[in-house]
Amino acid sequence: MDVSQTIYQTPSILSADGLVGLVFLVMVAVTILGAYVASTAERVVRAVSGLVICFVGVAGIYYFLNSPFMSMMQILIYVGAVCVTISFAIMLAAPEEKKKTTPANILSGPLGFIVAALIFGCMTGLALKTEWQSYPKSGSGSVRDIGISLLTTNSMVFELISIILLIAIIGAVVIARDGRSS
Amino acid sequence: MGGYFTDLLTGTKSLIDGMWITLKEFPRKPVTLNYPHESVKMYKRFRGHIELIKNEEGTSNCIVCGMCERACPSSCISLAGKKPEGSKKKVLTSYILDFTTCSLCGSCVESCNFDALQFSNEYNLASTRREDFVFDLLKRLEAQE
Amino acid sequence: MSLTLLNAAVAVFIAICFVGLNAAYLVWCERKGAGFYQRRPGPMENGPWGLLQPPIDGVKLMTKQLLIPGGVDKAIFMVAPVLAMFPALISFVTIPFSKNIVAHPINVGVLMIFAFAALGGMSLLVAGWGSRNKYAMISSVRAVSQTVAYEIPMLITTITIVLVSGSLNLSEIAASQLGGFWKWNIWGFQEAVGYNILMPISFLIIFVCAVAETNRAPFDLGEAESELVAGFHTEYSSMGFGLFFMGEYANIVIGACLVTILFLGGWSSPVPLGFFPFTDHVGWFLLKIYMIIFVFIWIRWTFPRTTIYGLLNLSWKYLIPISLFNLLLTAALLKVF
Repeated sequence: MDVSQTIYQTPSILSADGLVGLVFLVMVAVTILGAYVASTAERVVRAVSGLVICFVGVAGIYYFLNSPFMSMMQILIYVGAVCVTISFAIMLAAPEEKKKTTPANILSGPLGFIVAALIFGCMTGLALKTEWQSYPKSGSGSVRDIGISLLTTNSMVFELISIILLIAIIGAVVIARDGRSS
Repeated sequence: MGGYFTDLLTGTKSLIDGMWITLKEFPRKPVTLNYPHESVKMYKRFRGHIELIKNEEGTSNCIVCGMCERACPSSCISLAGKKPEGSKKKVLTSYILDFTTCSLCGSCVESCNFDALQFSNEYNLASTRREDFVFDLLKRLEAQE
Repeated sequence: MSLTLLNAAVAVFIAICFVGLNAAYLVWCERKGAGFYQRRPGPMENGPWGLLQPPIDGVKLMTKQLLIPGGVDKAIFMVAPVLAMFPALISFVTIPFSKNIVAHPINVGVLMIFAFAALGGMSLLVAGWGSRNKYAMISSVRAVSQTVAYEIPMLITTITIVLVSGSLNLSEIAASQLGGFWKWNIWGFQEAVGYNILMPISFLIIFVCAVAETNRAPFDLGEAESELVAGFHTEYSSMGFGLFFMGEYANIVIGACLVTILFLGGWSSPVPLGFFPFTDHVGWFLLKIYMIIFVFIWIRWTFPRTTIYGLLNLSWKYLIPISLFNLLLTAALLKVF
């Protein structure tokens, strides 16, 4: 199959390919919109909502990339657990009076811009210079294949994540041990 | 761990008991009435507003003595009568009860010595207009069968 | 069937009709059921047996003013009801009503339902937050802590079933239980579940979780009207409230579908005979889900509301340990047999 041809043909919007492409663009737009809201919102709750939108968009992209398992896990864990936890943290935290923002240093704007531009440039340069190798597709992306590769080829990652989770659980228990009396 | 499993068992049992009770009620006949279409028949000794008693001739026993009018503490009764030609007794021509000020004390019924007044069983009284509570009891008497 | 705009539109339309009708008439069923449990006739005035009540209620809701109180977080306030309805709608995509009636048999259907249930939880949170009302806020915190607490035992129990049937696809899970009521996952004494006699308890756990997940009595702490006015939808009027309401009833249907598919064999007929009323048919599926919904209504009108501590204790002290134990036991037994 010739890859270059499929890239340059613009399919009709009503055909299956066109619809799928449209869905992809919508997902990308949703992700960027969510990220924008999350990073610019003044109220924390709006930022969390932006994060939710962003995660849903990412999940959509995963789904588009033929990985429904990852997509559902993205929503289940990031929206269902992470965002809800963040919201809880916001609600449990003491209400914060509006901070008096001190007038920013005159250099902070340009400096921040330069750093961001540098990082962006380096990353782009790296991405362009690297000779990308296509990683051999392992299995069909089904749950079974993911499980097998997690417990064989990538078992190190699996173990490390388990250790992190264990540490988190022990930490939570240690913090909660004193109970409410203290 | 004390009581962990006993709590679980007694809790489950009480939940099942509760559900059994409501399930038994489910198929039984409703105890309520479909109100505007059906209503409860009021018991005999209910003290509604007053009404005139009908005698065998189909008229009132009232002799227009005016005792009830005088007995009424909120003066909500106004009655009138006249003496027809060749008759000794007065005959009632109008008996108006202004129910808006009536407090259902029953002094009128007590004061009547001629067995002409009684409490009605009327309790479905609701209206947005004041005039609906000024009852013409003589008309009501005629309407009774 | 190819994927075209028209097909997609028709599918979406049918889904919305199904959900909308269900939501409307489940309200009617609920009110009738409440009536019968309390020995009164329920709605009677509109149409025969009050059957016209739902459309009239709908018209009433739609013609009311959509009030946005001052000082609310407008964007969030407006998005929340849509966010409550949308996951409920989208979850119907993957639910198999019978062997052939399924919109999109996605391979990880179980996960999908849970993922979108999580989104629904988020909607309650932002609704309560955006309302600028302390009662709504307290209620949304309660509703979400409850959803999080009951999601865990529900997921663990679902994993048990996934272990048993070896698939995350709802169609396959249901198909693995075909062939008579003794093959359903609710019964422990069969080879498919490794002779795990605790399966009925698993069923009870997931049933309790389904009641709690849909925020229904006795777990309706989120809308405890005696203490929190109306909970997270205190400030919502008109169709904003209507969407929450419909989302709630759509979630009830989804919960019932999930319980049916995981434990009651989906569209499998109780007796495996070849001729019509006994074949595996969508009718059996509908019958099962409506029976489960009947039990939901029955429970709601039987028990008073629990306290928030009782609710969380039940989940963390009973449901989670028992479901974890059952998961380990099932895994071990499946290995043995």
